[in-house]
Amino acid sequence: MNLQLGVLEEMILIILLMKEETYGVDIAMEYESQLNQSISLPTIHVVLKRLEKKDLVKSKMGEPTAERGGRRKRIYQATSKGYEAARYLQEKRSAMWKTIPAMNFSFG
Amino acid sequence: MKNTEHHPPAWADRLLNFFCRPDYADEILGDLTEAFYWRVKKKGPFKAKSKFIWEVIKSLRPKNLKSVYHFSLNTMIFRNYIKIALRTFLKRKSTSFINIFGLSLGTAAFMLIFLYSWQIITFDAFHENKERTFLVYKERITPNGIQPAYDTWVPMKKRLKEDYPQVQASSRYYQADARVILNNRFIEEEITYTDEDFFDIFSYKMLHGNESQIFPDRSSIVIGVDIARKYFKKENAVGERMEIFIPEEDTTMSFNVSAVMDWFPSNISLQPTMIIQPESIPYFVEAANDWGGSFLETYVLLDEKESAADLEAVFPELVESIWDAEARNNTNFKLLPLDSYYDEFLGSKTDALTLLFIGIGILLIAAINFMNLSTAQASQRTKEIGLRKVLGAFKGQLRTQFVTEAFIASIFATLVALGMVILIIPYFNDFFDVTIALNQFSVIEIASFVVLLCITLGFLSGSYPAIYLSSIKAIDAMQQKMGFAGSVNFRNGLVILQFSIAIFLIASSFLIRNQILYMTNTDMGFDREGIIVINVSRSDFVDREQGLVRLNTLKEQLRSKSYIKEVSMSRSVPASWTRSFRFIYPDGWTGDPLRMRYTYVDANFFNTYNIPLKYGNSFLEDTQGDQRNSVILNEAAMKAFDFDPSEQNVVTNRSGEVRINVVGVVEDFNFETLQNEVEPTLIFHRTASNPVHSYISCKMEMTNLPSKMEEIENLWNQLGSVNDFTYTFMDENVQELYEEENRYLGLVTLFSTLSIIVACLGLYGLTLFIIEKRRKEISIRKVLGSEIGGVLGLIFSDFAKWVAVAFALSVPFVVYFINDWLNTFHYRIPISWLTFMLTLVIVAGLVLITVGYQSLKAASSNPVRYLKEE
Repeated sequence: MNLQLGVLEEMILIILLMKEETYGVDIAMEYESQLNQSISLPTIHVVLKRLEKKDLVKSKMGEPTAERGGRRKRIYQATSKGYEAARYLQEKRSAMWKTIPAMNFSFG
Repeated sequence: MKNTEHHPPAWADRLLNFFCRPDYADEILGDLTEAFYWRVKKKGPFKAKSKFIWEVIKSLRPKNLKSVYHFSLNTMIFRNYIKIALRTFLKRKSTSFINIFGLSLGTAAFMLIFLYSWQIITFDAFHENKERTFLVYKERITPNGIQPAYDTWVPMKKRLKEDYPQVQASSRYYQADARVILNNRFIEEEITYTDEDFFDIFSYKMLHGNESQIFPDRSSIVIGVDIARKYFKKENAVGERMEIFIPEEDTTMSFNVSAVMDWFPSNISLQPTMIIQPESIPYFVEAANDWGGSFLETYVLLDEKESAADLEAVFPELVESIWDAEARNNTNFKLLPLDSYYDEFLGSKTDALTLLFIGIGILLIAAINFMNLSTAQASQRTKEIGLRKVLGAFKGQLRTQFVTEAFIASIFATLVALGMVILIIPYFNDFFDVTIALNQFSVIEIASFVVLLCITLGFLSGSYPAIYLSSIKAIDAMQQKMGFAGSVNFRNGLVILQFSIAIFLIASSFLIRNQILYMTNTDMGFDREGIIVINVSRSDFVDREQGLVRLNTLKEQLRSKSYIKEVSMSRSVPASWTRSFRFIYPDGWTGDPLRMRYTYVDANFFNTYNIPLKYGNSFLEDTQGDQRNSVILNEAAMKAFDFDPSEQNVVTNRSGEVRINVVGVVEDFNFETLQNEVEPTLIFHRTASNPVHSYISCKMEMTNLPSKMEEIENLWNQLGSVNDFTYTFMDENVQELYEEENRYLGLVTLFSTLSIIVACLGLYGLTLFIIEKRRKEISIRKVLGSEIGGVLGLIFSDFAKWVAVAFALSVPFVVYFINDWLNTFHYRIPISWLTFMLTLVIVAGLVLITVGYQSLKAASSNPVRYLKEE
């Protein structure tokens, strides 16, 4: 599997996997609560569009709600390909992590 | 979750909505909105808002924007708007003409005013270091007030630069006459003496020559490109030689052109054409440490603007170190910012700014015409609006349509106005004796100005009709059930505003006119009719001593002419009065010396100008010799000295050695404009054969003048002077004192006339519309027995009300503005209520004429014509 995924793309993909289905603001809130770091919505939108292009997520339009000023949500869901990609990365990383000596003083 | 008190900024929302791809808009804007409310709760409204705006801007990335396809859909509807707009214009030719002509007239007036006042407002903006450049001047502290004097000393420049680190550059500036010798001919030019630092302070650019070393040696001269063309028929004159006669030294010197200076704009204060260093002539070398005579200007460039105050604070010590402690008490050095140069010496930037506001007022009147006529016409376009609504046009689209119409009109009007301005400029310059030109701006500047003007005008005139027309309910529009009440009030308000502006301008120009007439017609205390003033100087002659003798011969010849009643020679004449001052003490005075103007006249001066003597005697006849110990005072000087006219008064110099008897006192005469109070002056006697004089004044019979002047000119030509015969008329000289005021009056009159024309144009259009609307009402009234007078009264009552309200509104503004203006004059008129009445009559008369013809036509027409339609 050959996938170029940025760190941010991966993070958001994982958030998507954590939830059954989600949308922009929800992702932003989750991101902030998990990583204690704020993120802007346009950034999330760009990442989502990129993930969608790579078939890692899919989206559909939801219902309009009042707090959105009567606008509809675009609801995102991770695809199985997305799940595979994330898991592949995770496994590779774990495998690589294991090869790091437990007490490497040069990091101390 | 929703917070009812805070909402995302609507403009940002709209901005994104306009540019964003429709299929993304819901997601992006929805998310941003939702996040906004969430952030309001978490971080407060301010952070939420700024974050919202930031995210909107970040969301405007290319991928999220509408494709060209979406915009091109809009151009189709735009083409429809343009087509409909043109059709509407053509359908109602008269109102469209009024609309666009009025708008062009207003725009043209605005452009002219802008061009004129802009060059004044941006006066000296050419100099990059303008903010940090100052003119050093001195203040004389005397018992009768503080008087500024702008002449400084030769060593001043050097001293300032050496003593104060804040002074980065300093330069002297002195202009004098010189004669360039070309093929044995003498050509009068103005020569400027200044230092190399001059070019560091001011931003003059060199076209040719070495900018880092402008004056390689003492015989270097820098010339303007005009001078280079004039004498060398080429621009690059570097290395050429110039022979120049310097009158101060009475010698001819030879100079090498070291640099040629580029053109500079006409709206700058210092306009040197030929520049040499002061040290090029021996006088300045000798006077290098002379703190006695002051005659030149000193300019300094400071490290920063704020240093000026620091320097002024330490200047008293400098004064003391140059002279003594006494000088410290009566002399002060000050710094005049280059920014204030125009106001101090040339005119008034405030006046220019006032004109600019007048221009904006006229533009506003013209825009209001457009607004009024467009909304008024709406009733005739309700079907169109209704149909568009029924077919699904959104409010925004209708708004766009009407704004488009306004834009088309404004573009058209602006272009017509630009054409008008280009045609008018030469006449305008000629008539007002100003130099405005489009080429003072670059093409890009003009283009962006025109585009900006189009946009402003379009929005100004299109916004109200657009908002109003688009908000009509479709069903009402289709049934032609128009609730016009709101719009009528607004429209009337606009008409009242128009007339307030027009009345303000008219009344103001009347009052300004009255003041200027008052100044030019008031008896200034001397005769100005029938007096010609001949400019004479012994330096007009190659041999000075001979010149003096010849001038006296001329004077005697003039005296013998039967048509010349009086002849007098004097140092100065009214309207170009002396600016020389000297210190003087009344006898027995122990306080500080008084600084007073002084001049020299011969014995016949007061006779020639018919200036009455109040006390004492005039000077003895010239034949009885110089009266070096006599002085005549004017009344102002009398008061300043606190003299008792019944006693023998004496004035002395500082040491008391020179004692001068006051032989007489003349009534105050206004030797300067009536803007200033008459200043104390000492008038000394010198016989006609004394070299101090520079004018011959002749009181003569003015009939058949050309042949008399020719005769006098012949006399002059026999004298063998190197200069041509030049003379002026005293009454014209007096008029010239008010040149600036007259120009201001001319401009204000012109533009107030324009403003009332434009306002009347609009009123005419509005009348047409009102009559159209009320045709049926008028007809029914007539059928029921109403007289023509009654019908006219019906139409006129509205207009009368508007004019009355506009009048009441503008009067306080006029009083305030004119009072402010009049305060700058020492001799001034009271604000007369008659002027306001006259204004009211004129405006009412114009309104009557504008509205009258159409109304009369409507009132006297046969009612059957309009009633049988239904």
